[in-house]
Amino acid sequence: MRLLLVEDEIDIQGFLGRSLQEAGYEVEVAPDAKTAEQLAVESRFDILVVDLGLPDRDGISLILRLRELGLKAPVLILSARRSVDDRVRGLEQGGDDYLTKPFALAELLARLRNLLKRNNPQPSEATRLRVLDLELDLLRREATRGGQTLQLTQQEFVLLEYLCRNAGRVVTRSMILDQVWGMRIQPDTNVVDVHIYRLRGKVDGAGQQPLIRTMRGVGYVFNDR
Amino acid sequence: MSLMTDKPRLRSAAWRISFLATIAFACGTLVIFVFLHQFVSNDIQRRSDAWLSGEVGVLGDVAGRTPRNALYRRVVGEIAELAAREVPNKSASAGSDNNSVFFLLTSADGLPQLWVGAGDGQSNLEAIKTTKFVPDKPTDVRVQGFPVPFRVACLQMGDGSHIYLGLSERDELRVLGKMRVRFLLLWLLVVLLGFGIVFLTTRRMLSHVRKITEAASKIGLSDLSERVPATHRNDEVSQLAHTLNRMLDRIESSMHQLHTITDALAHDLRSPLTAIRGKLEMSLAAMNGEETAEPIVSAIEELDQLTDFLNKSLDVAEARADALRLTVTEINLSRLLETMVDLYEPSMTEKGLHIRLSNEKGIIVLGDEGLVHRMIANLLDNELKHLVPPSTVSISLRSRDETADMVFEDDGNGFDPDVLEHLFIRRVKGKTSAGHGLGLAFADAVARAHGGTVEVVNRDVGGGRIAVSMPLAREKMRHQLVATAQAG
Repeated sequence: MRLLLVEDEIDIQGFLGRSLQEAGYEVEVAPDAKTAEQLAVESRFDILVVDLGLPDRDGISLILRLRELGLKAPVLILSARRSVDDRVRGLEQGGDDYLTKPFALAELLARLRNLLKRNNPQPSEATRLRVLDLELDLLRREATRGGQTLQLTQQEFVLLEYLCRNAGRVVTRSMILDQVWGMRIQPDTNVVDVHIYRLRGKVDGAGQQPLIRTMRGVGYVFNDR
Repeated sequence: MSLMTDKPRLRSAAWRISFLATIAFACGTLVIFVFLHQFVSNDIQRRSDAWLSGEVGVLGDVAGRTPRNALYRRVVGEIAELAAREVPNKSASAGSDNNSVFFLLTSADGLPQLWVGAGDGQSNLEAIKTTKFVPDKPTDVRVQGFPVPFRVACLQMGDGSHIYLGLSERDELRVLGKMRVRFLLLWLLVVLLGFGIVFLTTRRMLSHVRKITEAASKIGLSDLSERVPATHRNDEVSQLAHTLNRMLDRIESSMHQLHTITDALAHDLRSPLTAIRGKLEMSLAAMNGEETAEPIVSAIEELDQLTDFLNKSLDVAEARADALRLTVTEINLSRLLETMVDLYEPSMTEKGLHIRLSNEKGIIVLGDEGLVHRMIANLLDNELKHLVPPSTVSISLRSRDETADMVFEDDGNGFDPDVLEHLFIRRVKGKTSAGHGLGLAFADAVARAHGGTVEVVNRDVGGGRIAVSMPLAREKMRHQLVATAQAG
């Protein structure tokens, strides 16, 4: 996957470039809109990460210019601004995504994956999910582990489904709140942890391999190995 | 929908103004007419009186010089007939049966000697006998059998006999009557026309005022780019519009300045925060879950808290200046509260607290989803952090008239009385409270930005009570009522 990162802050360029490379992207970095335009014309990218505050031009007008030039790849917009511009909303409706700084790396990666998936939709949605010995029947809303049916509430099932779909990848608390509860909030209490703790109690029985792993300071990972 | 209710009020103002203007106009014209009427009627009477005096003088002269023989009767009679033909103000219809004039000659002892006129003159004589005459001054005489009085001039002859010349006021009254009818018709027409013109003009003017009001009320706290419509005419209404627009220009420019400052501040702080957070995450990943990673973990957590604090501070600052930018959508508050309670219930239970929700269904408000979510999460976080177990948090949501009332009650220790007064001021918090002291200020800021209020009190029975009130999405409510009515 070829990714174009348009960001002028050296510090952010550095860690973001490296993290994205580690996540498997082939990253090209452009420090300003002019370079970005050149790079985008010269070669093809699968996805772009564009910061709104560029030194020579506004990020939005860069994106609109690239679209004029025939760019089809989805764009993840990064912004340190407080308000979301109407033009950003327009782009969001057009299939691009928006992330406010500062962000958790896991969230950035998840959004990139979603953007790529949205652009290449899978032909058919599976009705069953399987991670190791855990199986989810999405139609009957039933979860079994090692053949044993788990007694889950509806909310717990949705949470487990979200974790399974992202098995092997880090999900943050904000991502869980956003995707499972539909809320973009940052509680300074342990609300998500208690839900995970309860779910873990039902999924990871005594003597079984723990599936839900806490990554301190980052979030959670659902083990897939 | 307040715009809809404003409309009839303005209409009625147009009615009221045109009604009052019409009454004033009608009264004015009526007074003028009364004066005119008086003048005309006096003038007609003056002419009649002048004619009567002149004619009676001529008759007296003729009667005095004509010898009292057989011819006397004929000569005086003919002169009287001739005089009757020259009656002033005489209408054409009265031509044939001339009963508008009479001539009477009485002897010194009051007996009739000569009568010229309609009928036998008996009733005229009766009436004249009862009337007191002033020489040279015609007088009104009411004669039995005639609906209108006669104007009668009297002349005393040298031999003590009297000559009376009477002129019916019938023609005079008819002229005046015609004048009155014509005036009344014309007056009605003019008054109706005047009412119409005043009403239309007022309504047009007020409709412009209404447009200004509508536009002004649409210019919300968050969107100041709109302007009220202004016409090119240089009247008071367009001056009002221009003044309003100039005021909006000034407000928008200070708002813009505030936004520039907060945006710059946010940007300048967020960029380094992003870099720091990213680097911390990278080092954390490199450590691979070692024990030594603990300081990094807490650094990330503190960084996130700092970011949250920064966001809230700027939100509160902007809301205090009525400059919070909202992205308004419909929010189902009932469903939102259910989800929130589901989300917080496990943590509450874990801490030994109970949470109860008494929720009215289908309550919808218009608001910024992100801000409203954060406001409710904040209030619940507050309860979760500060309540001492075992306590119960009761949340209720009710719609009342035009507001959605959300009440958070607990049976804990309540708020510190010292800080209760200043709870909404940034950074005020209880001595025992953790956190930045922004929670309630933030809730207040969000409610304010949505045209609502937050009220914090200590309950009489102990514990705290936070009441958040936000305006309902009214048109939505109406749709719901229709839907329920149809379902029922």
